[in-house]
Amino acid sequence: MPENFRSVSAVWVGLVCLLFYSRLVRVGAAPICTNGQAGCHILSLADLFDRVIQHSARMHGISSDLHSEFEQYFFPSKNHIGRVNRICHTSTILTPNGKENAQRLAREELTEVILKLLVAWRDPLWHFQQSIAHHHDFNNFSSNKALEMSDMVHELRKGVEKVAEKMQMLGIISNSVNSLTSPEALIPSDRAEWRLMKDYVLLYCFRRDSNKVQNYLKILKCRIIPQHEC
Amino acid sequence: SVYGVLLFLCLLDVYKISGHFGPPGKPKLTSCRSPEKETFTCWWEPGSDGGLPTTYALYYRKENSDAVYECPDYHTAGENSCFFNKNDTSIWVNYNITVVATNALGSNFSDPVDVDVVYIVQPHTPENVTVTVMEDKDGPFLRVSWEPPRKADTRSGWITLIYELRVKLEGEEEWEEHRAGQQKMFNIFSLRSGGMYLVQVRCKPDHGFWSEWSSTTYIKVPDYFPRETSVWILIAVFSAFIFFILTWILNLKSNSVKHCLLPPVPGPKIKGFDKQLLKNGRSEEVFSALVVPGFPPTTSSDCEDLLVEYLEVYTPEEQELILEEGKDLQEGCLKSKGSPSDSDSGRGSCDSHTLLMEKCGEGEGKEEKHQERAQKGKRQQKHQTGWEEGDVSHTREDVLSPDMSEGRVKTWPSVFSPLPQYSSRPLDHQGSLETARQLCLSDSLFPPPSTSSHLSYNAKEGLAASGLQLPGFRSTEYVEVQRVNQEDMVILQPLFSSSCQRDGHLQIGQGEDYSKVKGVDSGNMLLLQREVEVKREEEDGDRYSCDIQDRVTESCYTTSTAASSQVTGKPTSCAGTAMPVQEEMVLAANGYVDAATIRQQEMCQVRVETKTHSNKG
Repeated sequence: MPENFRSVSAVWVGLVCLLFYSRLVRVGAAPICTNGQAGCHILSLADLFDRVIQHSARMHGISSDLHSEFEQYFFPSKNHIGRVNRICHTSTILTPNGKENAQRLAREELTEVILKLLVAWRDPLWHFQQSIAHHHDFNNFSSNKALEMSDMVHELRKGVEKVAEKMQMLGIISNSVNSLTSPEALIPSDRAEWRLMKDYVLLYCFRRDSNKVQNYLKILKCRIIPQHEC
Repeated sequence: SVYGVLLFLCLLDVYKISGHFGPPGKPKLTSCRSPEKETFTCWWEPGSDGGLPTTYALYYRKENSDAVYECPDYHTAGENSCFFNKNDTSIWVNYNITVVATNALGSNFSDPVDVDVVYIVQPHTPENVTVTVMEDKDGPFLRVSWEPPRKADTRSGWITLIYELRVKLEGEEEWEEHRAGQQKMFNIFSLRSGGMYLVQVRCKPDHGFWSEWSSTTYIKVPDYFPRETSVWILIAVFSAFIFFILTWILNLKSNSVKHCLLPPVPGPKIKGFDKQLLKNGRSEEVFSALVVPGFPPTTSSDCEDLLVEYLEVYTPEEQELILEEGKDLQEGCLKSKGSPSDSDSGRGSCDSHTLLMEKCGEGEGKEEKHQERAQKGKRQQKHQTGWEEGDVSHTREDVLSPDMSEGRVKTWPSVFSPLPQYSSRPLDHQGSLETARQLCLSDSLFPPPSTSSHLSYNAKEGLAASGLQLPGFRSTEYVEVQRVNQEDMVILQPLFSSSCQRDGHLQIGQGEDYSKVKGVDSGNMLLLQREVEVKREEEDGDRYSCDIQDRVTESCYTTSTAASSQVTGKPTSCAGTAMPVQEEMVLAANGYVDAATIRQQEMCQVRVETKTHSNKG
C-alpha cells in the first residue's frame, strides 16, 4: 500500500510540475522584439504603450509614498514646508505646463521631453538610493522602495526608447529623436546642481516629474492610438 | 456741519473704546479644487469682520518667483472664492496663496497654502447614467452605463478617470458598491424578481478626489421565476424520495439492523431467578426463589439423590476417542437430562467438555471400553489413598489433567460450576485385586443397572473384558479405596448403594474412606475430618486402616505424598468428591466435599492430598 501511495503521489507531483512548467514556458516563450525578428512575439504599439504607461504609473506611486513618508517624519509642521526653496534640477528642461501646451507640442518633441526627464533622473535616484541604504533612519521598506524607484527609471527609459523606435519604424514620428538620447549631451551642467539637493527636495521634484512623464505618455498614446481607452 | 463731523468722530471714538469695532479676524483658506485639471477655485472662510465692512483679497505667488498676483476672478465661483481660469492655471507649478481681510481698522492675513493643481483634482459627477434590464439565460440583469463628466477631457488622455457605482433595493439600508475601473458600463446580476433598484455612479482621477454621487436612477425589475429555485426544488424532491425509500427499507430490515447495531446483551440465567421479582424490589422473595429444594443435600443419604463426580483418568492414546465420545456424550447427556442450562449461560473455566462428559445413557459397551482403556493405559499409579481418586496424577510423561481423565463426570443439573470430579481410578496395580469392584451409580439419575458388573483391575496387560460386563452401568460410580498395597498403590473398590446388588464377594469394609469436610479455613483450605469408624475395623481385616489424614489444599495439582510427581495438566478440575454414605454406616453427617457447597473458585483449586500412613492391616 505505501508503495502505491508513493507512486501515485509521484505521478501527481510530476503532473503539477508539468503544468507549471508549461505555464512558465508559455509566458516566457516570446521575447519582445520590435524589429520583426523571427521567432519572437511582436508586440503591438498599443501594447507597448500600455506597458510603459503602467510602468510610469507604478513609478509615480512609489515616489508619492516615499514623499509622504518623508513629509511625515521630517517635516511635521506645515510652516517649514513653505520656507523650503524647492528648486529642481530638471527645471531647465522645458516641459509643457498645461493641456494646450502639451497638445501643441509635436509627437517627437513630446517623446524627447519624456526621455530627457527620464535620463535626468537616473543618476540622482541612484545616489539617493545609496544614501538611503546607509542611513539608519530609514527602515528597510523605504530603502527597498528607493531601490525599486531607481531601477524603474532605468527600465522606463528603455521602454520609452523602444516605443520611440517602434513609432519611428511605423513612420509615426521622424527619426530625430534618437540623437538626443545620450545622457551626456542632454544636461551636462546639471550634474553639480543635483548633488546639492536635499533628499526631501529630491523626492518632491521626482514625484512631480514622474507625474509629468505619466501624463505625457498618456497624451502621446491617445494622440497616436486614439481608439484604445481614450 | 463741522460740528456734525466732530460729533460723528467722537461717536466713533466712543465705539472704538467700547470694543465693538476692530480689525477683521483672520480668514482661512478652506479648500482649492480643480474639476478638470485645467482650472481651479479656492474658497476661504472669513473671520470676524470686526463690526466693520471688510474686504477680502487673495494673493498668490508662483513657484520660485517673487511676483505676487491677485486673484483674477472673485465672482464666478461665488462668495468668498477665487476662480483661476485656464490662462492663469499652470499645472505642475506650486502656488502659494494667501487671503487678506481688510476693514477700516486694519487687515489680517491668512496662513499661506501651497497648492499644486495636479493633486487637487475633483471631477464632477458622471453624466447620463442609464440603467436597463437585459435578459439572459439565467435571468434578467441590470446594465448600467454612463458618461464621464463633460468638462473632464479623458479623450485626449489628459485625465484618466476610474468609476464606481452602488446599487440597493428600495427600502434597504446598505448599498452594494462595485468598482468599474475605467469602463463606462457595468452589469449587475442576481436580481430579486419584481424589485425596485436604486443606482448611483461616481468617479475619480488616478490621483485626486472622488466626485459626488450622481443623482439616483430608479429601475424596476420585472417579475420572473428564478431558474435556481426550480433546480433546488427538483433536488429537494429527489432527495425526499430517496429518503423515503431508505426509511422504508430500514423499516423492513429493522430487526437485522437492530441486531447489528445493538447486539443483545446476555442476561443472567439463574434457575429460579426472577427478574420481575427483583424489579419489584422484594429481595427476600427473590432469594428464596433461588433456593432449590433439596439442595444442598443434607440428610437424604440416598446416593441416587446425589451426583457424584469423579475425576477421570485418561490415557493419551485413547484421548481422542475419549474426547470424541465425550463430546457426543456431553450433548447427549445434556439433552437427556434436560439440563436447564441455556446456551448462553456462562460456564466456568473448569467447564471443559470432558468434565461434562456424561456417560448417562451409555451402554455397557462403552463402559467396558472405558474400563478396558483405563486398564490398558495404566502405568504406575500415583500413590493415592482414600476416595480421592480424583487424583489424576499420572506419572507418565504426558501428563493428564484431571479433566482429561477417563471416567465419568456428572454435572449437577442446577449448578454450572466446574464439577467436583471423582474419578474412578482403575489403577493398575501389580498386586492382585481382591475383587472386581462395581461402581455404584446414583439411582436418581440413571436407571439401575440390571446386572452387576465387576471391575477387575488386573495387571498392566489389561483385564479381560470378562469381568467387565456392565450392563446398565450407571454413569456415576463411586470407588472406594480398599487398601494401599506394598508398592504404594491404591487399591480401589467400588462402592455400591443400597439399591445396588452385588453378588458375591464384595465384602468391603465400607470403610468410610471419605473425608468429611470440617470446614474451610482462612487459607482457602478444605479441612477434612477423618472419619474413624469402629465398624470399619470390625468388619474387615482387609480393611484399610484409616489412618488417613486428609488434608485438602489448594492446588489444582493433585499430588501424593509418596510419589511426588505432579500432574502438570490443566489445573481445572477439582478434586472435591462427594461420596455417598452407606446407610448402614452411621455417620454424623455426610461429610462430602460437595461441589455445591464450595465456591466455584475454591473448587477449582481444591486439591486433596492425603498422607497415608500405610498400615496394611
